[in-house]
Amino acid sequence: MAAPTPEFLRFTTHKSFTQRLILSTLTGRPIHISQIRSSSPTNPGLAPHEISFLRLLDSVTNGSSLQISYTGTTLTYQPGLITGNVGAKGDVVVCSLPEGCRRGVSWFLLPLCQLAPFSKGVCNVRFEGEGTITSATETGDVSVDTVRTGVLPLYEKFGILGAKMELRVLQRSCAGPGGKGGGGIVELRFGAQIRLPKTLHLNRSPGRVKRIRGVAYCTGVSASNNARMIHAARGILNPLVSDVHVAAQYGQAPLVSSNDPSNPGGKKRTGVGFGLSLIAECSTEAVIYTADVAAPSDGGVTPEDIGKKAAWQLLECIERGGCVTTVGMGTVLLLMAMGSEDVGRVRLGKGVVGTEDFISLGRDLKRFGGSNWGLRDCGDETGDIIVSVKGIGVGNVGRKIA
Amino acid sequence: MSTNLGKRKRKVGAVTASKSKRREERSGSEESEGAKLDAQEIFRRHFEAQFKPLPIVQKATEEAEDLSEEDDDEEEEWGGISEPEEGGVEVVEHTDAQTRMAAMSKEELKAFMSSKIPKSTPTVSLIRDKSGTKIDDEDASEEASLKKDLALQRLLAESHLLDSGSNTTSSGTNRHKATDLRLQALGSKGSIFKQEKMPIAHRKGIVSKQNEKEDARRREARENGIILEKAKMKARSGNEGKRDRGVGAPAVGKFSGGTLKLSKKDIFDIEGPKRSSSSRGGRGGGRGRGKGKRGR
Repeated sequence: MAAPTPEFLRFTTHKSFTQRLILSTLTGRPIHISQIRSSSPTNPGLAPHEISFLRLLDSVTNGSSLQISYTGTTLTYQPGLITGNVGAKGDVVVCSLPEGCRRGVSWFLLPLCQLAPFSKGVCNVRFEGEGTITSATETGDVSVDTVRTGVLPLYEKFGILGAKMELRVLQRSCAGPGGKGGGGIVELRFGAQIRLPKTLHLNRSPGRVKRIRGVAYCTGVSASNNARMIHAARGILNPLVSDVHVAAQYGQAPLVSSNDPSNPGGKKRTGVGFGLSLIAECSTEAVIYTADVAAPSDGGVTPEDIGKKAAWQLLECIERGGCVTTVGMGTVLLLMAMGSEDVGRVRLGKGVVGTEDFISLGRDLKRFGGSNWGLRDCGDETGDIIVSVKGIGVGNVGRKIA
Repeated sequence: MSTNLGKRKRKVGAVTASKSKRREERSGSEESEGAKLDAQEIFRRHFEAQFKPLPIVQKATEEAEDLSEEDDDEEEEWGGISEPEEGGVEVVEHTDAQTRMAAMSKEELKAFMSSKIPKSTPTVSLIRDKSGTKIDDEDASEEASLKKDLALQRLLAESHLLDSGSNTTSSGTNRHKATDLRLQALGSKGSIFKQEKMPIAHRKGIVSKQNEKEDARRREARENGIILEKAKMKARSGNEGKRDRGVGAPAVGKFSGGTLKLSKKDIFDIEGPKRSSSSRGGRGGGRGRGKGKRGR
């Protein structure tokens, strides 16, 4: 796969780290990232979760090569073929996240899902280990429930079969003490590989919210917290939408090794907490607004507060408008850019377009050979913006011959 | 203001106005606190207790704070619900965790919480004709009403399949069961679910278990004095009576190829048990010899 004259695209800092690596893997352009936290005197270089992501990328691709400098501040990545599970032993690729991981598992899941439709074979990955946090985190990651109910349905619009996707939560976990680590187990089974994603036309009005669903989860705390969160959230949402249903999920706190030198086999419980994930489905298909709030790892909040916050966050997200939220935006725009050489359109709210993620994704895509985006006002009173994205037409390299 | 006396007050103005009256009631409870106050204050109180209240000029806010703290202590004493403030509307938030949580239906919950991606399924109309097209509810034609009639009949006959909570999701199973019911209604002899071929031991086990259950039910009913329906006659188990042999067939043995074949058992049956002496000789003798050997 490696081109004889690799021309590295050069980036700096750890910002949009996963996004750049994914783009590099999808387009086959090698990248060079420098100045990764080089100014930090205490923790220079790559963070534990970034290393884990690189490992994951290495295990789902074949022939990729990675070079990390001694300090970890510079990274060279030459992408290989996305093979998914082809070379792996057993059914799933196991990705073990280290203890110090502060990011939720959705930080890994979202980019992995962007990669998976373009892999050669099925892409089954299991995240486990002492750093797997399935809940929403304070670092801004959404919960796995939001990924499953709010982001994965977006793939169906691109002709990627939803029936072949699965996201199993085998063990729930909130962020452990100090926001570090969890102990959850999540398994992604992505069997819907495609040649080229379909062109998306999501430029009509998002319609009106017709129902609100959600998942309230708690691990290691009283299960009544679920009911309290749901009650508080419904108190806000019920006057607005009558069809509000939230499922409750209760689990024991996961057991992880206690790291006690005097008791090497000892175990302790970690990842105690609770949270609420809400989605609002609209009358237009595949328009889903999401909200996600979890209790901070040091506690001190009531479930009612979390429920109310989640409801407000959902309302805020609905107010922002457009057809795609900030959570799903990256996925949608990337899949559009990877699609056939045709112009797809998506309607986004101004609050979504004006984010740093949107701008940086646009810039990165351009660096990787994508075409410019066209932005125009949709011309009605909502003030939404219609983004036109022309596909690169790369698609699935592994399936080009077949 | 005088009408409001006896109620808890939060507003400073109201507090200062009605303070004097309260003070008389509180004087006993505040003795310990009074030690901290300066002497002038004590004198003033004494005076107020004896005569009429002195006009208050300053320290109004400070005292109001005192009062608001003490208000909590006086909960039992004052007991009443605070009167709404001028022009304000009192907001009562009733949060009760015990209120029924409108949960999703079991089917919906299962679909939503499964590891698959929840899909927004449109609600389907139950009345459909053979080609699967939906019949409009307002259609009043003869044909449509016939179809609706059929649908209603089927619903009545088969609705018990739907209410069993365990298998609402296994729609395929329910469909097969419904087909079976329809077939039986049309005159089919047995159920399509009756398994015809199975190992004999397996079937015996099933039958014995059924009998056992039935027996237990009857026994319990009898013990509790409940009268049940009459017991069905039990089918005779096969090994009891003699096998029915054809007319003219031999009563013993098996006749084939012009010869009557007698098995060893048949011969034994005809001959009857062997003489007791010989049998004694066989085993008893052996034992005897064994003893003898040991003796030698």
